Amino acid sequence: MTVLMEEKPRVGTKYIAALRARFGNSILDESWQAPDQVTVTVPLNSLPDVVAMLYYEQGGWLASVAANDERPLNGQFAIYYILSVEGSPDDPNPSQKAYVVVRAQIPPHQPEFPAVTPKVPAAIWYEREVRDMFGIHPVGMPDERRLVLPDDWPDGLYPLRKDTMDYRYRPEPTLEDENYEFINVEGEGIVQVPLGPLHMTSDEPGHFRLYVDGENIVDADYRLFYVHRGMEKLAESRLNYDQVTFLADRICGICGYAHNVAYSTSIERALDIEVPARAQYIRTVLLEVERLHSHLLNLGLACHFVGFDTGFMQFFRVREKAMKMAEMLTGSRKTYGVNLIGGVRRDILKEQRTTVLQLLGELRAEVATLVSMLLETPNIVQRTQNIGRLEPQVARDFSPVGPTLRGSGFARDIRVIHPYCAYDRVPWHVVSKDGCDVLSRTLIRAEEFFESVSLIERCLDTMPAGPVLTEGFKYKPYAFALGYVEAPRGEDIHWSMLGDNQKIYRWKCRASSYNNWPSLRYMLRGNTISDAPLIVASIDPCYSCTERVTVVDVRKKKATIVPYKEMERYCIERTDSPLKQQS
Amino acid sequence: MLKLLKEVLKVGEATLPYPFEPVEVMPGFRGKPHHDPELCIACGACAIACPPNALQMATDLDQGFQSWSLFMGRCIYCGRCEEVCPTGAITLSPDFELAVMNKQDLFEQADYRLAECRRCGKYFAPVKEIEYVEALLQKSGLADDELTSARALLKLCPECKRKNDVSKMVSLYQEKKDVPR
Repeated sequence: MTVLMEEKPRVGTKYIAALRARFGNSILDESWQAPDQVTVTVPLNSLPDVVAMLYYEQGGWLASVAANDERPLNGQFAIYYILSVEGSPDDPNPSQKAYVVVRAQIPPHQPEFPAVTPKVPAAIWYEREVRDMFGIHPVGMPDERRLVLPDDWPDGLYPLRKDTMDYRYRPEPTLEDENYEFINVEGEGIVQVPLGPLHMTSDEPGHFRLYVDGENIVDADYRLFYVHRGMEKLAESRLNYDQVTFLADRICGICGYAHNVAYSTSIERALDIEVPARAQYIRTVLLEVERLHSHLLNLGLACHFVGFDTGFMQFFRVREKAMKMAEMLTGSRKTYGVNLIGGVRRDILKEQRTTVLQLLGELRAEVATLVSMLLETPNIVQRTQNIGRLEPQVARDFSPVGPTLRGSGFARDIRVIHPYCAYDRVPWHVVSKDGCDVLSRTLIRAEEFFESVSLIERCLDTMPAGPVLTEGFKYKPYAFALGYVEAPRGEDIHWSMLGDNQKIYRWKCRASSYNNWPSLRYMLRGNTISDAPLIVASIDPCYSCTERVTVVDVRKKKATIVPYKEMERYCIERTDSPLKQQS
Repeated sequence: MLKLLKEVLKVGEATLPYPFEPVEVMPGFRGKPHHDPELCIACGACAIACPPNALQMATDLDQGFQSWSLFMGRCIYCGRCEEVCPTGAITLSPDFELAVMNKQDLFEQADYRLAECRRCGKYFAPVKEIEYVEALLQKSGLADDELTSARALLKLCPECKRKNDVSKMVSLYQEKKDVPR
């Protein structure tokens, strides 16, 4: 049941040829994990140049960076820069789109590497995370602060090193206070507005600090990762590689299935498992069902944040049909627990197909009515057009993903660029807009919703018969590969390396919002404070409510607290600024 | 605005009277696992498969008990236990109402007697598991003499089995002086 990789032509050879032409002997090794996945090993000193060349000259986007403690294997640390290389814009025929992974080894006696961030800004979060989790120091970083580890975590304890700690170990906090240093913006009349410690509109608590001049946001900074769950460590330590699919589900409460498929495909690729065609179609259907309810949730919240709460209620009422669909097809409202390595556990039966088609028809009609109502609301365009602009150049530098990127004129969707499951077997098209603003991102979600409805219908119509699960494959020690899925918020990338004991040696999972956060700062700049919640909502991080917002006046050195409800009310009503009441 | 009003009127009430009336779940819904202690043979397959360790097995070699336990606070309703159970003792029910007033009510436990080794008398495996294997042997179509010796071995603990093997080897060696290596 395995596919011989040699049979398929390799995609992306021209990038390797270009690298060899430029860097010659610096390309130490080249290994192919799949026809469109290649890992090249380079010396540490050439790392920034190689990554920068792929990124800016060959049309690369930074998908993820994974560090790995390979000391038990070869005595070295390793770092993998994972780029989706899509051809330079000047290339007349940019047909070859491949994942090129740049790997470098780092000696344990000198755990540092030249930072790539000064050349490719998109790497900033990844390199800060590598320093936190592995204690490998990126030299030349513009930002020396912690990213993932809490401020009270002991120095010198690096959780993902193989020899440091058990996954159950909980060190005593080293200090009482939060001492994270936010960036310092000074100037006449500039006031800091911290939002947090729980971030409004986001499930994950996060501390935002807005620097405002009057009502205008001059800059923004944020501290996230308050709820880091240590899943990668847990997966490596306690679970077997086939149990990790159930943990991958739980990464996100909205797009859990996308993570699950990304993880499963990474293992399937590493082990050369061919997933049956019918299972590929079923996965596509379920991924799109997930997109339906995720986009409806975001559209509902878009209504809420412009003060159109009836619309919010209506979107959530209709969304219930998508949830029912998920419950029927997977046995759980959250599309959890249907994937196994090698396929899916449930087939789609004839009567289920009929019900899904009927529900899709109803959804299409009802959502069309609601979307037209939302767009006819007088203040929606006024509130969202030219608000929270993500300039194409900023987008190019920071590799945001999903509707956030597609709203800034890049028609980039992993489902087309690196087709997986059945996305290359059914016709559909990518939605992109060039307004660069909140409106564009919202409209993209609305249009993608209808695209998803058609995708599910076409999959159900053309689904081949046959088995849904491949069993009896062999576990290959230390094989590794990438898995990727275009989740509702953008691509989820999983890099997995198997161990030698039915476990995962290293699992680096990167959720879509991770790539969207760093560019948010640029979207907030130049807008008024009442638009902040709307802008944050437009990148669609997982939502929740938060309790309060703190306002700091740097000139008076005084902190005051504005309740979150007040902040939200101000976003909706835009009268009686809470800042004016405070001063 | 008029369109919206019309839509709202057309839809009417969208909320359900739950919890005053029950809510139907879709067929195939995975809810609270139901354990049938009669069918269960305490083999522990479910505890090995369970990703969040909600299902666990504990062995008490002094008292001679094997306990199967389920902690609902950890269960993720994946249904792997149902898939791996050889006797169909675990099934996922459509029951989704899991709130309890007391945390202890989230635990479920079933104890199974362990069998004693025929030779050394130590506890080594659940009685029901041995009975299950015996029934399988019965159906396997082995010849009568093979069946008898297989049954006899079944009642030995792993350590006594090893000793048995060694003494067999020794007697082979003494008889033929030609030992398989």
